[in-house]
Amino acid sequence: MTLYLLRRIASAIGILLLISLFTYAIFFLLSPDPAVQICGKTCTPDRIDQIRAQLGLDQPFWQQYLEFIRGIVMGRSYGEGASAVSCAAPCLGFSFQTNESVMDMITARFPVTATVAIGAAVLWLLVGVSGGLLSAVKQGTGWDRGAMMVALAGISLPNYFLALLLQYVLVVQLQILPFPQAVPFAEDPVRWFQNYLMPWIVLALGYASMYARLVRSNVIDTLGENFMRTARAKGLPAPLILRRHALRPALTPVVTLFGMDFAGLLGGALITETVFGLNGVGKLAADSIAKNDQPVIMGVTLLAAFFVVIGNVVVDVAYTFLDPRVRVKSA
Amino acid sequence: MSPTVTRTISLPVPGAALLEVDDLSVTFPTTSGDVDVVRKASFAVQHGQTLGIVGESGSGKSMTSLAIMGLLPNGGRTTGSVRLSGHELVGRSDREMRRVRGDRIAMVFQDPLSSLNPYYTVGLQIEEAYRAHRGGSRKAARAVTIEALERVRIADASRRVDHYPHQFSGGMRQRIMIAMALCLEPDLLIADEPTTALDVTVQAQILDLLSELQRETGTGMIFITHDLAVVSQVADDVLVMRGGDPVEMGTAEQIFSRPQAPYTRALLDALPRIDDPFSERPTAPATTGEGRA
Repeated sequence: MTLYLLRRIASAIGILLLISLFTYAIFFLLSPDPAVQICGKTCTPDRIDQIRAQLGLDQPFWQQYLEFIRGIVMGRSYGEGASAVSCAAPCLGFSFQTNESVMDMITARFPVTATVAIGAAVLWLLVGVSGGLLSAVKQGTGWDRGAMMVALAGISLPNYFLALLLQYVLVVQLQILPFPQAVPFAEDPVRWFQNYLMPWIVLALGYASMYARLVRSNVIDTLGENFMRTARAKGLPAPLILRRHALRPALTPVVTLFGMDFAGLLGGALITETVFGLNGVGKLAADSIAKNDQPVIMGVTLLAAFFVVIGNVVVDVAYTFLDPRVRVKSA
Repeated sequence: MSPTVTRTISLPVPGAALLEVDDLSVTFPTTSGDVDVVRKASFAVQHGQTLGIVGESGSGKSMTSLAIMGLLPNGGRTTGSVRLSGHELVGRSDREMRRVRGDRIAMVFQDPLSSLNPYYTVGLQIEEAYRAHRGGSRKAARAVTIEALERVRIADASRRVDHYPHQFSGGMRQRIMIAMALCLEPDLLIADEPTTALDVTVQAQILDLLSELQRETGTGMIFITHDLAVVSQVADDVLVMRGGDPVEMGTAEQIFSRPQAPYTRALLDALPRIDDPFSERPTAPATTGEGRA
């Protein structure tokens, strides 16, 4: 098990390095000279050279990339002598626009993203799993058909449209919710909750729809398994049959999907955060792309990749506990 | 689980056979009207005796057994009479039938791998059958389980009880299914093609085990198979079915030496003979009920 875990972590690090190399190469090759960008309007060629030297942009590509990775692992400093700026590990560099540390920018915004992701995840798991389960048990009834129709709509509706629709209906027309306004939880929990409610719903609806459809088909498949017939032939009570014999095989694949989806969201919900003006990692990504702020784009990309890769490892390890057939092979 | 229900079904009516089936029909509704998959089957099983039900795919033999258990798939309807020790089972509620299943009538199925839940240890799957009917602590159920596994000759049962189905071979899995079926000492065991998925040597071992356990416990057995050779080894009585119809019923001796129905004769003639393996053999006439079972 330990060996398995070490192997998984090693391969995760390899994948992250590969992703960082690709992202770095893309920005290195495609984007306009950052030094010109930083220098601004009152610029001289000398000043540009100076900036290049300080950021290491005069170095060849490989050297720059290795410096970048070294900065993440051990920290680095930009420039030399008195003008040197040090950057502690994990160093993702500084924004070309604001000169802020990218790491600080991300850590400042991450709580918002995490709140959005966790709230939405709780909502979509509750609605998606129970909805799918009910549909499967009441297969072919009006409830089943209705729920699956709603689910199809939920998958098809784009987030930005749903977000605007909700805002229009709940805030403008019905005035059930106040106009969104960022308030810390400690200051006014009710307002905080109201502020996050719409993003949660918008984000959760698509996932809940997908999960409901998946859970429904998994449960129906499982109900048709031979071991269900065995369970009935043993004279087990129906609730026990459903709980023990149907749910576990049907829900285990959901864990895989959930791990990936949730990890993906921790990297920022770009559209939802932007539409609701939530200052999370997703909005940071959108803003930095608009301004071509390369170090920030690099940072949020790596963060998203990091969560997806880690999510993968967690799911794989969780599977060795959830499915005995996987457990024994890996031991 | 009302105790009165258990008592009314469990006290045998004097003079009644273990299982009496009269005019049993099974019907499924389809978009083009009702389809009978079993038509007016009648037979009886005595204590300690084995009835073999023989037929090709779609002959209705499996549906007959599921109808006895009250386990027909969606929409299946049973008419006629099924009496266990003189007590009518047709028309009983699912709640009442649950007390009968596993406890009074147990089943062993064709494919032991898919018939066991891959997510749970074989021990738990036997224990839950025991506890569903007898209650008691997990510890007590575990002791019964280990004993049941030892009875079907699983070596090192006290360790193997915590293993998962995929860690056993096909023959071992079927032994586990048999242990599960017999741990409550049922009056009747329905074995639905229990050896079909196994290779020939393992098949012989399982057949030996079943007849040995039957001698020990006096359990009545319905043995369903398409394999006449297997039936000739285990059955006291034989019912031949075809396309949902009972074709012929008699003692094994009668059926094998003096078959009356042309279909039975054709089936027997289709068997390879050890003394004349290369002769031209007629094939049994095809039925129209293909794929119904």
